[in-house]
Amino acid sequence: MEVWDNLIWIVQDFVDPRKRVFVGYLFLSLVIAFVWMWWVGRRNPDNTKRSSLRRLFDKRIFFSNSAKADYKIFVLNRLFSGFISPLLLTQVGIATGMFYLLHDQDWIRSGAFGNTPKALVVALFSLTMFVVDDFTKYLLHRWMHRWPALWSLHKVHHSATTMTPITVYRVHPLEGVLYGARGAVAQGSTIGLFIFLFGNTVDLYTVVGVNVLVFAFHVTGSNLRHSHVDIHYWPWLERILISPAQHQLHHSVAEEHHDKNFGAALAVWDWLFGSLHLSEREKDLTFGLDGRDADYEADLGTIYFRPFKEIGRFFKRRATRLWHTVPKRSSPAAPRKDA
Amino acid sequence: MSITLKLGDGRQFMSKTLLKLTTSLVAGAFIATAATAADTYGPFPVTVKGYEGDKTNSVSYTGQIARHALHDSLKKAAAKGDGGANAAEVEAMLLAYFNGSDEDLAILAPASKDGFPVKQSTVNEISKGKNISGKFYNGAMPAWPGNVSGQEAVLHMIKHAAQSNGGFDAENGYDWGQIISKYTMGAMMYNQAVDNYLDEKLEADNKPNDKPYKDGAYYTGKEHSWDEAFGYWGGPAHTMSLTPKQAYGIAKGKDLAAADADGDGVVDLKSEHVFGPAYYAAGADKGGTQSTNYMHTIMQAFIDGRQLIADAKGEALTDAQRSELKAYAEVIESNWEKVLAEATFKYAGSVYKDIAKMGSLEGEELAKAYRNYVKHWGELKGFAMALQTGKNNLGGTATELNKLIGYGPVTLDNTYVTGIDADGNFLRERRATWSDYQLQMLQAQKLLKDTFGLASLTNDATADLESLAGKLSSDSNAETD
Repeated sequence: MEVWDNLIWIVQDFVDPRKRVFVGYLFLSLVIAFVWMWWVGRRNPDNTKRSSLRRLFDKRIFFSNSAKADYKIFVLNRLFSGFISPLLLTQVGIATGMFYLLHDQDWIRSGAFGNTPKALVVALFSLTMFVVDDFTKYLLHRWMHRWPALWSLHKVHHSATTMTPITVYRVHPLEGVLYGARGAVAQGSTIGLFIFLFGNTVDLYTVVGVNVLVFAFHVTGSNLRHSHVDIHYWPWLERILISPAQHQLHHSVAEEHHDKNFGAALAVWDWLFGSLHLSEREKDLTFGLDGRDADYEADLGTIYFRPFKEIGRFFKRRATRLWHTVPKRSSPAAPRKDA
Repeated sequence: MSITLKLGDGRQFMSKTLLKLTTSLVAGAFIATAATAADTYGPFPVTVKGYEGDKTNSVSYTGQIARHALHDSLKKAAAKGDGGANAAEVEAMLLAYFNGSDEDLAILAPASKDGFPVKQSTVNEISKGKNISGKFYNGAMPAWPGNVSGQEAVLHMIKHAAQSNGGFDAENGYDWGQIISKYTMGAMMYNQAVDNYLDEKLEADNKPNDKPYKDGAYYTGKEHSWDEAFGYWGGPAHTMSLTPKQAYGIAKGKDLAAADADGDGVVDLKSEHVFGPAYYAAGADKGGTQSTNYMHTIMQAFIDGRQLIADAKGEALTDAQRSELKAYAEVIESNWEKVLAEATFKYAGSVYKDIAKMGSLEGEELAKAYRNYVKHWGELKGFAMALQTGKNNLGGTATELNKLIGYGPVTLDNTYVTGIDADGNFLRERRATWSDYQLQMLQAQKLLKDTFGLASLTNDATADLESLAGKLSSDSNAETD
């Protein structure tokens, strides 16, 4: 019984429609991937439905050392999920704090837009929540790449040399906490703002318990971002939405692809802040880190503990540099040997 | 106890059956007695030693019911002013209900109406010679301006009510009927019950159970002390068979069927009506999260305590019995305090909502909404003051609550009452924004919720924040790319 309960607990994300790896979304992703593979190679006489299927379920990908490490991390990280639960309380706290703070402002009063039609309020809230969430994910993701201490953590995710939908779980637990905190701040303050302005008409348009826009993102193949199926969009659309191929390019080791396409669902942030890279057709990408970090690929000890070591080293270096930037006295007294 | 029956096989079987039958009969009788006892407050037998009269029921709390009628009438009378011309007359009337009168006073409320006939129409029909003033909290009342005692505060209110127009003072933001009434629910009913009858009167040497309450009385000291506390609570004898909704309907004069326990077609105020405190307990249970059971919890403790005293059969209570009785008293006191805090919480939420509503209104509509706001504020203030008349000194909580609510609400020109002058006139020397005052209401709700562990939480101004946050599952936010 206990074993069974634990098993359920470990795999519960697959039956939760609020999670990307929900079986329904995975199935739709497979259908999309299969249709894509078959259609792309439709002029090639060797491309049959069977061969498409074989390429889709390529065992060199699903059973690579990198993928096997993903699966282990998936299970291990469940143990750390407890760190994230208190963030719901934080989120309510932030919402309340925002709500209180707004009452302190003289230029706006609570319920100022309380007469707005409910349908409009709900649509506006659902859209705002999606956009704010997506933008803060973009920002944090960008910082994860740009700040060396954060990059030490985020490296774990980029060390995957093959990608499957489970790779989304290949993250250092501390990165999970950072993303959770981001959610608490972004969502908490949006909730506080909306309830302040619109009162109790605020609600979310949901499908199977999830924001309708997030649902749309998942049913259109969000799982293929971490896969070998390089679905790309028209160039104009890749300026608005990040295609699976664009995210795969983000994982590429090639230098010209570094620090591109940080976006989650929307590409507009990358476009606005100059980090957008359209997908490149017919070009094989190599995923992972460069040679020095090869241990990250499949060694769990390295994956979980090396980031701490690197962060420690980083701060030590910073501290040393700081120490030496203090100008020395112009006429130093003779150092006392016995000191 | 053991019964051994050595009989022949067949007969032994029969005796066993007989034994089982007897046992179940006895057990059944116990359960039946317990069930009757648990159902209503009384009748309870006369147990006082040496009583020779013809009374068979020792329950008596008509004095308290008369005071409920005085209180309800006082509230009604507070709206009789015409803006000054009849001030002296109205003040005399209010004081008659407050101090009692040699004349038999008409019961202004609860009065008979279509579909809800009330048996008594004058106070003396319930009980003679009663007043509110003699049972009114008279300790310090820092919630009211002028460094006043509890009684000075209510007399100041009565004076201003008499001068007002229909009990409403738009300029200062007072609804006198509401403030006076809600304050009295604490200063008389709650205070008398929890700080007198359920407190010192439960001590061994105070109103002992082996003596009549007073010479010649048909009830013992403890029996009557308990009844008096029960009378102030204001629930009808058959409260346990009522749902909070029914109790609410009775108090509003709308549910004759639920009120009329003896089926005589009229509501007997002495035992069938729902008055103030019980009404607000029902309101808390009926509204908000509907997760509380204040009304039945308090009522059951009253019945159980009274049963315990009756079971002592006119003997002095042992220390063990008194400590059990005190435990019932503690249940009553703590739940009653919560009921007052829930009501304060509810009206802080109403005031918050009223401000939001007024923001988008003008002219006639605004005036109407402002009237409602002042009414709700009066209930808020009255209940907040009521909370401060209990057995426990609320200390810092009271200070904080009084600061947040203030002496008066923020009025239409953004001024609010800051104190009184030497003649007792209100001064409005400061201004606050509506938003600031809303924030204070939010803080008052939080303070009440945290301090008293409230659960009904009607009109919770931040409930929407929590329910929305719950909808946006936070741990999927940890999903990264």
